[in-house]
Amino acid sequence: MKQQVNRLQPFFENVSFDRDDNHMVVNFGPQHPSAHGQLRLILELEGEEVIKATPDVGYLHRGMEKMGENMMYNEFLPTTDRMDYIASTSNNHSFALAVEKLINVEAPRRAKIIRVMLLEINRIISHLFWIATHALDVGAMTIFLYAFREREFVMDLMEDYCGARLTHSAIRIGGVPQDLPEGFIESMDKFIKQFPIDIKDYEDLLDKNRIWKMRLEDVGVIDQEMAQSWGVSGPALRATGFQWDLRKESPYEVYDEIDFDVPFTDSCDSFGRYKLYMNEMRQSIKIMAQCIPLYEASEAGVMAHAPEYISASKEEIMTQNYALMQHFVLVTQGMRPPVGEVYSATESPKGELGFYINSQGDPYPYRLKVRAPSFWHTGLLQDLLPGHQLADVVTIIGNLNIVFGEIDR
Amino acid sequence: MREYKPKGDVQAKAYYSDRFWVAPQLPTFSVDSDEIFAEQSKKINENFEVIKEYIQTGHLVVEVKAEDNKDAVAFFKDELGYNFLMEIAAVDFLEKRGVFEIVYEMLSTTTKKRARIKCCLRENQALESVNDHFRMADWSEREMYDLSGVKINNHPYLKRIIMPDDWQGHPLRKDYPMIGDEAAQWYEVDKIFGKEYRDVIGPENRDQARVDRFDTQRYSKIKHEVPKGAEFSDTKTDFGDYQEKDGVFLVTKLKKEDSVQLKERR
Amino acid sequence: MAQHKVNYAAEGGLPVVLTTVDKLVQWGRSNSVWALTYGLACCAIEMMAAGASRYDFDRFGTIFRASPRQADIMVVAGTLTKKHAEFIRRLYDQMAEPKWVISMGSCANTGGMFNTYATVQGVDRIIPVDIYLPGCAPRPETLQFALMMLQKQIRRESAFRALKPKRLV
Repeated sequence: MKQQVNRLQPFFENVSFDRDDNHMVVNFGPQHPSAHGQLRLILELEGEEVIKATPDVGYLHRGMEKMGENMMYNEFLPTTDRMDYIASTSNNHSFALAVEKLINVEAPRRAKIIRVMLLEINRIISHLFWIATHALDVGAMTIFLYAFREREFVMDLMEDYCGARLTHSAIRIGGVPQDLPEGFIESMDKFIKQFPIDIKDYEDLLDKNRIWKMRLEDVGVIDQEMAQSWGVSGPALRATGFQWDLRKESPYEVYDEIDFDVPFTDSCDSFGRYKLYMNEMRQSIKIMAQCIPLYEASEAGVMAHAPEYISASKEEIMTQNYALMQHFVLVTQGMRPPVGEVYSATESPKGELGFYINSQGDPYPYRLKVRAPSFWHTGLLQDLLPGHQLADVVTIIGNLNIVFGEIDR
Repeated sequence: MREYKPKGDVQAKAYYSDRFWVAPQLPTFSVDSDEIFAEQSKKINENFEVIKEYIQTGHLVVEVKAEDNKDAVAFFKDELGYNFLMEIAAVDFLEKRGVFEIVYEMLSTTTKKRARIKCCLRENQALESVNDHFRMADWSEREMYDLSGVKINNHPYLKRIIMPDDWQGHPLRKDYPMIGDEAAQWYEVDKIFGKEYRDVIGPENRDQARVDRFDTQRYSKIKHEVPKGAEFSDTKTDFGDYQEKDGVFLVTKLKKEDSVQLKERR
Repeated sequence: MAQHKVNYAAEGGLPVVLTTVDKLVQWGRSNSVWALTYGLACCAIEMMAAGASRYDFDRFGTIFRASPRQADIMVVAGTLTKKHAEFIRRLYDQMAEPKWVISMGSCANTGGMFNTYATVQGVDRIIPVDIYLPGCAPRPETLQFALMMLQKQIRRESAFRALKPKRLV
């Protein structure tokens, strides 16, 4: 069958015939190399200056919330990987934590420690990816290659644990699927020793780089009022001088036992946020290092015991009849959590990642709403961009660390 | 006879439920059990008609009338110090109770407490926008309007945000099937090629368990692609080697025996 | 005036390589397939990883271009949604012939795990696809392998690709 000519008409968004001013409308995206995904911005320019910006999202809307309503809790967990696909484990963890809160189950101590390790590894993966792509957008190609090299080493750690590079599903409801593999601690230890040197390298390349400073300093200033109004969270909030990190303020897992600082700055601009990301990676290394002795002191056992909701371990399923029956029921019919609503928030690399689950006692959640931080960081653009130059748009988009998997869901 | 299926709620259902199953409830506590919440609740009761209030999983849950939503959010922000509005969600209870439950998740960074304002909205009732107090409501309410079909009053720019402008229906309503209605299933074909092209492209394959016994044979082999429907010739394709047997001009031939396996990643 | 009879076919006769136009042209094409960065979702990250330090796509002659006018292949990396479908067709039409399409990842192949209202069930409903990569997300090695298979396919093709019938589904 010969292909037919399609019916798409050319569109004239950047040509407006009834204007008498000098404004120009520029369509940016939805497929733009520095839009970090499928962001479409309709920018109104006066010369080089942005007068009005209208972000248009939804180009990656895959219907995840609807899927969540039509999937059992355990079935949905791998889907959360694809939300913030740069740090998948943080999504898994946030969802698992919300369900655990709903069914009132607590993961065993070793599982919690492993979770913290994996979360921090993911934070580093995410931040490295951020610095790589952000620098690439702003024009520093070298840092992209360096940061991706180190990112591969961190991904190797993740791969050693769960076998996947990108979509980890490394956390289950009620714990983690397995104990740390042999040699994991050694390779992590090696990484912990090496990585601060690498961060130093990045900073040497960027901190005093004239172009980098000129393009980031005093660009994208988010003040505290704007941040509160727009529900900004994560590094973007901490750059406004607001020392708010959910790991410190409402500790989950074992974060309350770990000694770490919450880096914050009151420079409010892109450069301040860049410094913040660098310091956060250092703190992540610190947390990972503290997890090793905690891990070694903890008892074995990585899944919670709650036969109503969570399958027994594989050995038990293979040897004990009752465990097999219970596993069968849980897999085919799903767990039935109590009736109620739960909202649980965790500090993902991007900000506050929350899951609101409304359960009506069915194996399927009645409503599952994801509070993805990037969604409002993108909405913020319409207030933030006017007044900036066109070239700054790329800086700001890159700097806010938005990921479209979680914006559109 | 075809089995009757309710159209108002097409969400997946458990295929078997024990007749005697009674779902447990997530424990709720009275607002007096927490000092800060008790004090706040007193203030709320003075100003609003509170339908329900309790504490669940550490959150203060307050249900107010749908007309009061904007005032309640403003009160929480200005008087009670909840300086962040974290999330707005609409839960569709149209089939069960004829209402939408609108949920406002609020956070106070001074007391480190979270509160949830709820209100029940009838289907054709419009909700007042809280955009004046929290700018984030601009996008949240657009999303709510788009996906759940909740109408918002006094919103600065009420337009679909996630779905395309010419989309039909509101996907997060319970009467909207997960795989979409007919307009959704043909959306891209209609838009790009036109309706008459539907027959050529064919319907979407939505059956996840579909097994085609020719699947392992009927992919087009390299250089042996055939038009749709034509017979596949039985040709052998060598997938084992990256390059042709005699190599490629100016490209170094990869020899497996020359490759080195690293002991450690670098 | 030729005084001697030269045996051109013998070894070391003249510095001439005999080949066909097809082979020469396709050799050139196969070793400089420039890819359009069509990163849509998760697979885009793996596509970037394939282009970055450890996997280094440049050695295959593949450089990512941001403009459809300069690109030969389109690597559709990620979920194609119904809202975006129009744009992928537009960009495909803007690419100059000859062009090839690699559909990377389960979502682009069949819709993958997203069996929902908003997802196009396979990018081949919109544009013709040459190579499908399985995996969610496929590793960079998979993309490398796909590229090498595509190079092999290009080398076997006739240089006049317009004569070849292209089918959509």
